[in-house]
Amino acid sequence: MTEVIATNETILVVGGGISGMTAALEAAETGKKVVLVEKRPYVGGRVTQLYKYFPKLCHPTCGLEINQRRAKMNPNLTIITMAEVTDIKGEAGNYTATVKIAPRYINDNCTGCGDCGKAVEAEFDDEYNYGMGKRKGAYLPHRMAMPQQYVIDPAIIGTDDAQKAKDVCKVNAVDLDMQEETIEFNAGAVVWATGWQPYDANKIQPYGYDRFENVITSVEFERLADPTGPTGGKILRPSDGKEVKNVAFIQCAGSRDKNHLLHCSRICCMASLKQCTYPADDVDISVYYIDIRAIDRFEDFYQKVKAQENVSFIKSKVASIVKGEDDSPVLHGVDTEGYNRYANQHDLVVLAVGMEPSVDKESFPVDIVINEEGFIEPASENGGIFAAGCSSDALDVNRAVQHATGAALRAVQVINRVAGTEG
Amino acid sequence: MAEEKKMAGFVCTGCGIGERLDAGQLETTATRDGKMNTCVQHEMLCSKEGVQVIRDTIDNDGATHIMIAACSRRAKVEAFHFPEVAMTRANLREGVIWVRPDTDENKETTQEMADDYIRMACAEAKFSTKPTKSGEQELDKTIMVVGGGITGMTAAMEAAAAGYPVHLVEKGGALGGRIAEYYKVLPTRSPYAAPQESSIAEMAAAIEADDKIAVHLNSTLAQTSGAPGRFSVDVATESGSTSNFTCGAIVQATGFTPYDANKLPEFGYDKSADVVTNHELEALAKAANGGPIKRPSDGKEITSVAFVQNAGQCSDEEGKLAYFSGVTDLVSIKQAMYFKELNGDCDTTVLFNNLRTPGAAGEDFYRAGQEAMVLFSKGIVSEVVPGDSLTVKFKDLILNEDTEMDCDLVVLAVGMEPNSGPDPYYATEGEGAPEPGEEANPNAVPEISVDSILNLDYRQGTDLPQLKYGFNDSHFICFPYETRRTGIYAAGPVRRPMDIQQARDDAAGATMKAIQAAENAGKGMAAHPRAGDLSYPSFRKEGCTQCKRCTVECPFGAINEDEKRYPLFNEARCRRCGTCMGACPVRVISFENYSIDTVGQQIKNVEIPEEWDEKPRILVLACENDAYPALDQAAMNGVEINPWARVIPVRCLGSVSLSWITDSLNNGYDGIVLMGCQRGEDYQCHFVRGSAMANERMSKVGDTLQTLNLEPERVVVHEVAITDIERAPKLINDMAETVEKIGMSPFKF
Amino acid sequence: MSTNSQKYRNSFLKEVEANVEEGEWVKMCMQCGVCAGSCPLGKHWDHPPQEIFMMIRAGKRDEVLTSDSMWMCTSCYNCIARCPRGLPITHIMHGLAVYSKRLGLMPDNQPTAEFGQIFWDNLMKKGRVNELKMGLSMYFKDGFSQGIKNAMANQKLGQNMMKAKRMNAMEIMGGHGVKSPGDLAKIIKKAQEIEDGNIQDFS
Repeated sequence: MTEVIATNETILVVGGGISGMTAALEAAETGKKVVLVEKRPYVGGRVTQLYKYFPKLCHPTCGLEINQRRAKMNPNLTIITMAEVTDIKGEAGNYTATVKIAPRYINDNCTGCGDCGKAVEAEFDDEYNYGMGKRKGAYLPHRMAMPQQYVIDPAIIGTDDAQKAKDVCKVNAVDLDMQEETIEFNAGAVVWATGWQPYDANKIQPYGYDRFENVITSVEFERLADPTGPTGGKILRPSDGKEVKNVAFIQCAGSRDKNHLLHCSRICCMASLKQCTYPADDVDISVYYIDIRAIDRFEDFYQKVKAQENVSFIKSKVASIVKGEDDSPVLHGVDTEGYNRYANQHDLVVLAVGMEPSVDKESFPVDIVINEEGFIEPASENGGIFAAGCSSDALDVNRAVQHATGAALRAVQVINRVAGTEG
Repeated sequence: MAEEKKMAGFVCTGCGIGERLDAGQLETTATRDGKMNTCVQHEMLCSKEGVQVIRDTIDNDGATHIMIAACSRRAKVEAFHFPEVAMTRANLREGVIWVRPDTDENKETTQEMADDYIRMACAEAKFSTKPTKSGEQELDKTIMVVGGGITGMTAAMEAAAAGYPVHLVEKGGALGGRIAEYYKVLPTRSPYAAPQESSIAEMAAAIEADDKIAVHLNSTLAQTSGAPGRFSVDVATESGSTSNFTCGAIVQATGFTPYDANKLPEFGYDKSADVVTNHELEALAKAANGGPIKRPSDGKEITSVAFVQNAGQCSDEEGKLAYFSGVTDLVSIKQAMYFKELNGDCDTTVLFNNLRTPGAAGEDFYRAGQEAMVLFSKGIVSEVVPGDSLTVKFKDLILNEDTEMDCDLVVLAVGMEPNSGPDPYYATEGEGAPEPGEEANPNAVPEISVDSILNLDYRQGTDLPQLKYGFNDSHFICFPYETRRTGIYAAGPVRRPMDIQQARDDAAGATMKAIQAAENAGKGMAAHPRAGDLSYPSFRKEGCTQCKRCTVECPFGAINEDEKRYPLFNEARCRRCGTCMGACPVRVISFENYSIDTVGQQIKNVEIPEEWDEKPRILVLACENDAYPALDQAAMNGVEINPWARVIPVRCLGSVSLSWITDSLNNGYDGIVLMGCQRGEDYQCHFVRGSAMANERMSKVGDTLQTLNLEPERVVVHEVAITDIERAPKLINDMAETVEKIGMSPFKF
Repeated sequence: MSTNSQKYRNSFLKEVEANVEEGEWVKMCMQCGVCAGSCPLGKHWDHPPQEIFMMIRAGKRDEVLTSDSMWMCTSCYNCIARCPRGLPITHIMHGLAVYSKRLGLMPDNQPTAEFGQIFWDNLMKKGRVNELKMGLSMYFKDGFSQGIKNAMANQKLGQNMMKAKRMNAMEIMGGHGVKSPGDLAKIIKKAQEIEDGNIQDFS
């Protein structure tokens, strides 16, 4: 049974991505008790699946290492993974949260040695790599996963495979009888940091993501470029594994579109500009865009990529993609700067998919103001519940962290009021 | 040391360590060579039972120093948490067995590796003491906010709402800043459809009424001294009076100045009164007092307006702003809507290149502008010709033609320039920095010298260091509130160009960090990234030669000089990176658990085989933030590392003392590999300049090598990223090859 | 003729809003061009929809209203389905075409316009379309000898349609109609009056 010691002076942080981790750590490092609830088997969230950050082209795992170290060192912070908040009752300063915890089938004895992963035979699509590549039925989600503990896929429970995992484990970490549990605990304030998900590219019918192997999403492209990804960092075509010599980026794939996401997802322009730096110099790159939204100092980066000889920009929302020879996608549309019709063939097409907020508008556990786009509004009606990061707007990492730090303060204010430390 | 040292070693045999290594031998090494008073084996040290064994040794046997030989120091951190003793860890799993092939022929060298790591960890333990509070701590919960605009006012209110007293210092005669001059502001809540009244007046009233907030108007900072938790501030008022107060942390929210449109002759700003900046338009709209906005030149009601976007922005031309000011497209839409509201049938045309209205609010507001019949054209303006009617010449990129339009008024969407103080590093790394190869000019001053804002009495300058274009921003994506002056946080447009809502969120974030800095200063704990660290540099005054290297090289300006010109450390400003320790040529600076000795003794305690054994030794000093985790991950992947390597994690490459290098060479090491983070413009060093400092120091290692008659290839410095999982081991293995090529060091005794 | 005082002003945009069906949507275009790229007949357009919208904003009244482009629309609705701003582009194109015809600015011999006129005239005779006569009118619109040539070229098609009972040769005798064409005419007249009344004068 998972035990959580929490009071009305505890801050509950929902979501352990970069925003949730930031809010949790900033509050904990200010001396507040924090419980962080994360749905995945590890903290770090979506940024762990990115190869590089714009505009510095530095590696997300670098900051992750620091944040994980902060988390490991901080006694004020309790992290519960594979858990979801199913209900919140009460009011600012006095909430009761209900949390459902899925069984990991691995206990804290796990040393991350990897024996169970080797013993198990069943393979599944690797969600860390967005389904490109496989992982075992007993797996460490990724190399830097925190906690550094394996997970057993529920699909193998009751099979010989699961038994193999148990038998091979020398430290008695495999517990096949682990059950789902539901716990309740108190919190004075809640930071809601459930982040975002890539917009489902299957819904953008004319781009044929569901029909053409060589049309992929921007988040998948990150995995392809990452040396720890499914292709070992080589940008290869999914259809034939050939090296890509000509790649297209389609901006606003799902964003700024009343048929899909009404909002501008802010990050996709910069993300594609960043991805323009991944392929080698001799790879031709075309960026199809409506407006390049390089905000503030990001302009520097835009100018830098613009100066790359292999990159060209076409002001156009691509109308449709058809399959050309050799499974190469052919993009049809009109360059609106002077009306030039094109039918351009590329080896690979990357859809810069939008950010869809992971805020469940329909069944949010507590009454809260959510706007048309699905983001939580900064409303006083929300009581002691504060959005952090991408549950408040489409934000880049830097702005999400900035926002989450502010959200932590708002939670701290509630706690300090409860604690009566003011005055 | 008054307290008697009692040293206990623990060897874990789990995770294959017991199978691959002779644990009995390791135990013997720990007690015989490592001088551990006791040493025990356990089959799974990180288990409850294992941890209990350690706990009992501390509680019952009074162990003061413990050495845990198990997995990497990055693993099982929560289990091996014994803050009451000095603890070191020997990395036998990721450091030894996972990087060596499990074959008979490798058995001997693998065991030697493990034995060395045990000796190293024991030596480290022996020379460590558990970090304790220095006693220098003070807790002053007061937050000082500099700047009384919307950002500063928000920061003050947020701090007060969290229960912290505030001193709010404003240069001008009233609170409100620029927003007070605005007619309306962008909407802050859904629907993002129309400009709204600002809440600045209510905020000012609330601040006035808040007894937690002391407002100092017409005031500037004459001097700020001290450190987080104990800043002392002299405030000077316009009338000449001065006062003093103390505070625990500082938020600098000094805002921005609109770009000077006189620098844009092509747009006729200096020739026509009817060419105005976006900031001036706010005043016009406000002066209209609910009636139609009038032309400045003749008072005629305006019927047509053109907005020139990116005026003097996003340009690589001399004197223009290279960056985009974040909000100027939204502002033009807002202002075009003023005309729709106040001037009835007025035509408004926005000439833009890329319309940057990001997020949900941005795109909603763009659509709202269109619905209000604001015209948008992707057009690059080349010239504004003054006249009774202004003619705007531009290229319409959609219709692909050079064209022009007439209008009554032209609004230039000019950008924001930060109101930052002088950059302490202007001459060394700012815009006044020398080209590569050139000597830094210490006398270089910014062309337009600005007044100091904070007037810090720091050895390293009066104000916050700048990142680029004058902004006091952090260089880290993941850590926007990273600051190079601990306890002082920039917020709002002085940090980066931003809109009101963002500035208010930013104020909250910066206030959070300020509160945190004050609280942790009170506990003697370090600020990010070594948050919570209690270790702290002490220095042996007797040995100091007053060379000032530590005071100059500290990336955080933490060290002042006292009246006798000795370094004066400020605990709460210090970030515990050890750059001072690395800088000190006479080795008088050290931390309780990280010192010249804790590393130097590790180096000395590695067994150096005789030359004819043909077993070279390679010292690897790896930054614990990136390089060391990269090596750990390589181990997880089973990447082989040469058996001659001995890896020592360091807090930052900047903490590496040259003495470690010379000692190693003198002791017979055959090669040395230093691994730090990326330096230079896009630095990744978590302590900003540590890696760069190390590189500079190591460039002088050549002399040492020459004196010793050793080949220069024996010492290399590499930039290693955390993702260099294949490359980091390869760099070590490359050194092994180099040694094989050039031969063993002759300095083996 | 557009002068500087009309360029990039709202005058023509307002005229379009007032007098063109769904014209109030024109201002909402963000120039992404997905309409232009989605149009199956796109390459036959001098100015694709999004460009026409920009021309309207630029005040190019004559160029827009005399343009051939909006007559090219075949109502496939691809553009409407894909427009990220939800502009009813098909309808706007038809609206612009109708407006240009009303003002007599449409290009001469515009085939779609001619077809439309023939269809309308045919329809108005009896309230129902007489397909045979309709076809013949189309064949002979460019003169008798061209008409014969057209008829010969399409002979087989005509025969097949008759065989399949898709066309009735007897329609030549007058064909079927609504019960009271006169009433229909009245309805249409009234509708036209209403429409004419709504038209604002911008000339």
